[in-house]
Amino acid sequence: MADPEGKNTLKALELLGFEGLKDVKTVKVFDIVMDDKSPGEAEKRVDEMCRRLLANPVIHNYSIKIK
Amino acid sequence: MSTDRLYTRRDVPFELVEIDLEDASDSDLMELSRESGTALSLEEIKRIRDFFKQKGRRPTDVEFQSLGQAWSEHCCYKSSKIYLKQYIFGINTRQVIDRGDAGVMEFDKDHAYALRIESHNHPSAVEPYGGAATGIGGIIRDVLCMGAQPIALVDPLFFGPLDYPFEKLPAGIKHPKYLFGGIVAGIRDYGNRVGIPTVSGGVWFDESYVGNCLVNVGCVGIGEKKNLRKNAVRGPGDVLVLVGGRTGRDGIHGVTFASAVLTKESETESRGAVQLGDPIMKEPVIHALLEANEKGYVNGMKDLGGGGLSCVVGEIALAGGCGAEVDLSKVPLKEEGLAPWEIWVSESQERMMLSVSPKNVDEVLHVFRLWDVPATPIGKVTPEKSVRLFFHGEKVFDLELEFLTAGPEYCRPCSAERTGSKKKEKTPQIKAKYDKELMKLLGSANVCNKEWVIRQYDHEVRANTVIKPLQGKLGHSSHGDAAVIKPVEDSFRGLAITTASNPFAVGIDPYRGGKTCVDEMCRNLVSVGARPHSFTNCLNFGNPEKPDRLWLFREAVRGMGEVAKALNLPSPSGNVSFYNEAPSGAVLPTPSLLGCGIVRDIRKCVTSDLKKEGNAIALIGATGPEMGASQYYRITKSHSSRIPDVDIPALKAGMEVVLGGIERSAIVSCHDISDGGLAVALAEMCIGGDFGAEVDVSKMEKLRSDVRLFSEANSRWLVELKRGKEKQLPKDRKTKVVRLGTVGGHSLKIGAGKKLVDSDIDKLAESFNSTLWRLVG
Amino acid sequence: MKASQVKVCVLRIEGTNCEEESFAAFKRLGTKPEKVHLKQLTGADVSHEEKRDLSDYQILVLPGGFSAGDYVRAGAIFAARMKSKLSKDLIEFIRARKPVIGICNGFQILVETGLLPAMSGVMSEVPEAVLGTNDSGRFECRPTLLRKVNRDSCVFTAKISPDKVSLIPSAHAEGKLMFPLDRSKKIVRELEDNDQIVFKYVDPEGNLAVYPWCPNGSTDNIAGICNREGNVFGLMPHPERVFFRFTHPDWTRAPDGPGDGRAVFESVLEYVTKRL
Repeated sequence: MADPEGKNTLKALELLGFEGLKDVKTVKVFDIVMDDKSPGEAEKRVDEMCRRLLANPVIHNYSIKIK
Repeated sequence: MSTDRLYTRRDVPFELVEIDLEDASDSDLMELSRESGTALSLEEIKRIRDFFKQKGRRPTDVEFQSLGQAWSEHCCYKSSKIYLKQYIFGINTRQVIDRGDAGVMEFDKDHAYALRIESHNHPSAVEPYGGAATGIGGIIRDVLCMGAQPIALVDPLFFGPLDYPFEKLPAGIKHPKYLFGGIVAGIRDYGNRVGIPTVSGGVWFDESYVGNCLVNVGCVGIGEKKNLRKNAVRGPGDVLVLVGGRTGRDGIHGVTFASAVLTKESETESRGAVQLGDPIMKEPVIHALLEANEKGYVNGMKDLGGGGLSCVVGEIALAGGCGAEVDLSKVPLKEEGLAPWEIWVSESQERMMLSVSPKNVDEVLHVFRLWDVPATPIGKVTPEKSVRLFFHGEKVFDLELEFLTAGPEYCRPCSAERTGSKKKEKTPQIKAKYDKELMKLLGSANVCNKEWVIRQYDHEVRANTVIKPLQGKLGHSSHGDAAVIKPVEDSFRGLAITTASNPFAVGIDPYRGGKTCVDEMCRNLVSVGARPHSFTNCLNFGNPEKPDRLWLFREAVRGMGEVAKALNLPSPSGNVSFYNEAPSGAVLPTPSLLGCGIVRDIRKCVTSDLKKEGNAIALIGATGPEMGASQYYRITKSHSSRIPDVDIPALKAGMEVVLGGIERSAIVSCHDISDGGLAVALAEMCIGGDFGAEVDVSKMEKLRSDVRLFSEANSRWLVELKRGKEKQLPKDRKTKVVRLGTVGGHSLKIGAGKKLVDSDIDKLAESFNSTLWRLVG
Repeated sequence: MKASQVKVCVLRIEGTNCEEESFAAFKRLGTKPEKVHLKQLTGADVSHEEKRDLSDYQILVLPGGFSAGDYVRAGAIFAARMKSKLSKDLIEFIRARKPVIGICNGFQILVETGLLPAMSGVMSEVPEAVLGTNDSGRFECRPTLLRKVNRDSCVFTAKISPDKVSLIPSAHAEGKLMFPLDRSKKIVRELEDNDQIVFKYVDPEGNLAVYPWCPNGSTDNIAGICNREGNVFGLMPHPERVFFRFTHPDWTRAPDGPGDGRAVFESVLEYVTKRL
């Protein structure tokens, strides 16, 4: 998948003097704090959030991590 | 720490400290200034001490901090005011409507435009992206609080060379390429998001900017005269409503940061002084504020800029002849636990203060709620001219406004003694042909096509940009001299906007350099068919406590004022930025000007690109031998301290000739002659039009060929005359018009008996267009 | 229906910023445009007098800008807010054959809402396409040339002759139209078969061309698409910016005639006045 933001970040890092960088990929993280009772319930709701707003299936994969 | 004994904590459930100035020694006082981050001088602190001694009490930290803000160079212009008053402030025309946070000028019978430019240098040097972005935010608010809709942004930028060797970079200084990329991105992301077109600007490169880049941002707005507001309360009883973003620790001590020299620690120490911008707070603020104002709910408003609440409350109240009482605990916060002094001086972005009659408060709050913008009444206007602050019931501040706003005004020593030795005159070698030099000039960073920058900014949003920053045949664009906006739907009247600066000339001869800047601004406006009407300026100089730096400032201002006065061009707003120094030295003295002109009918405007084969090309204005500060001398590593002067009657005459020629449709393209001289100007016209030209410069003054080609003498334009209409060009014996040649072919041929230049347009274009792409990709 | 009776809803939220010029384009043609905040349709935080009903309008415009800052993804927040509160009204509006146009950010919103390309039905459950970051990785504000490739389905381009090249400028950072990679070719063919492709980026000779004539690297140079019925139309370039000749980038070289964008607004107005 094309990642222009990653490419541009790589360039910026090189301009700051960091050498030997191979690639930069950008990943978006949404840290969602919620008070759902069970992890299962929370995961279900976050999955819906991903489908309704946070991800576009045409270009995105997503994974959910419950802490 | 030795000053600990001077602080006494008041017994309240939050941080509040009284400061004992009476028992402090001079060195204690200086330590206090340093510790508090206020950058007050010893004599200033002593004045504060005497004031509180008379009152018979000790200042709170809130009061002390507030005075530090109010008396900073950034807020009270203590070193510059004396010269600005002398040379610039006096110019007045009947069209000046207001001189507030932004200047306001008459546009037509029912409309006015607002304009201002200011610097955001130090924050941008430390955090390029955020610093530049918040600069845009601030300047938009300045225009907005006059009751005007922002309609255009401009941004002159000054950097070290993009190919500056990494190993030469001083510690703590970021590479120019990184700063350039970050600052352009910051302006782009903020300006585009907020929906105001960026229509003009410029990028200058010089080694002196390596340690301290300059980021100037200007804004122009339009409004109906009946919706204009003062930055003042209407009277006692008005409610002060704080709207926009929440207040946080970001941006504390921004103004004092701007009033000191950058050091190598600045990068890490001062990051907290750079505010974080949120364009998606600003954009609805614009809507909500203009809507509330149009409905007549707002009595006066003012932007929260440098100094935050501490400056705005006193200023807006005093401007209406009143004082104010504010409850700091009502201010919406980004985070818990801010001390009252922090709330009072924080420069968090996207905030404005509205003064509202009590009966309209609910309506104002409703409008802001629709746009999801916080709006909170935090205080009221009182009849006596003092400010009182409360925090959770405790009075934490009580000061007379006369004292708070009576910042010092200095007449600091100023002398022409320049450090460093006088450079020797060095003239370039005479050559038979100048194709190589022309190619090199077109490709030099200061001259080359800035498309890489310009196309990242939306210069067309609002759909009123009639003359755009890039002009020419599709796919062949070149620089224009000024942009033109058509701001009123049912009128063809236009507002031309340009930027002008020539730090190279000012650096060698500040007086003539200052004059040159105003000349260039007028040339630019006239080139598109606009009559210069007003300007605003941002004056970026070094440390004013050094006499030679202050001398540069005074001379530049004197030169600018002289030309502006002769042309009756008022400057209803402006900004001074001192302390633009890094350990490696000061930046070139850099006045940057935002000029506005009036176009009677935008359908008559012309652009710089050549239009038609067979049309005549003429030079308007006289050329002289002064080659100092020219781009040609720069690339040939030559030097002269002789800078072109401005012949004011000739400038006036030239302006009338060009304006008359455009009005009569005799001129179909026009370009002012500036960086790189006649040859570069003509090449740019060819590149934009994708046409060649053949000209003979032997009818110009008797000068060396390279001077004829590359002189940057003032008050000159190149014009393309419509076939059959050549005689319609007005005549004036105070200026020269020389017919040079014709449009045609696909190469640029310049001769004087023998060929001096003969280059293919595609090759010239390649050199002109490729530089920035090569340097930044 | 007379032009003066045509009510146009120019819908906005925070960060929408091309509403003035979109409003002006419809106003100049004698219709009754109105700038409406999404909350006025959903009823949140508004007074009784401020409340509006989508069904009272004949045309819906989603203007350009950076709605909600384009955070998360260009147009995604506006789309999610609209979808959760306004789906029913939108579907009814479109089923009634009333026209909807999304320009730039508005196009991104239509795609994120599932109203375009809408290969089957009025609104897809999840987005079937995306407007991704330009190949250059940059915001691109430049003149673009669009060739009309739509045969006759789109109600916004009826007055533009087939294969005519119009100058309609672009200004966006995320305008690369993409479909799921594995099915992209097939989808494009289907769009063609359905006559859903409206405009393609071309060079001055009218040929499909690469950057800068195609400013974003869009699939098959597609600049604008419509739904199968042709009454929902989205495009990245801004027709409202070239309503008049004097806002064309090169108008001083050829000052006569109307702006190339005007035909888009005239086409839809003719459709509404004749058909509704």
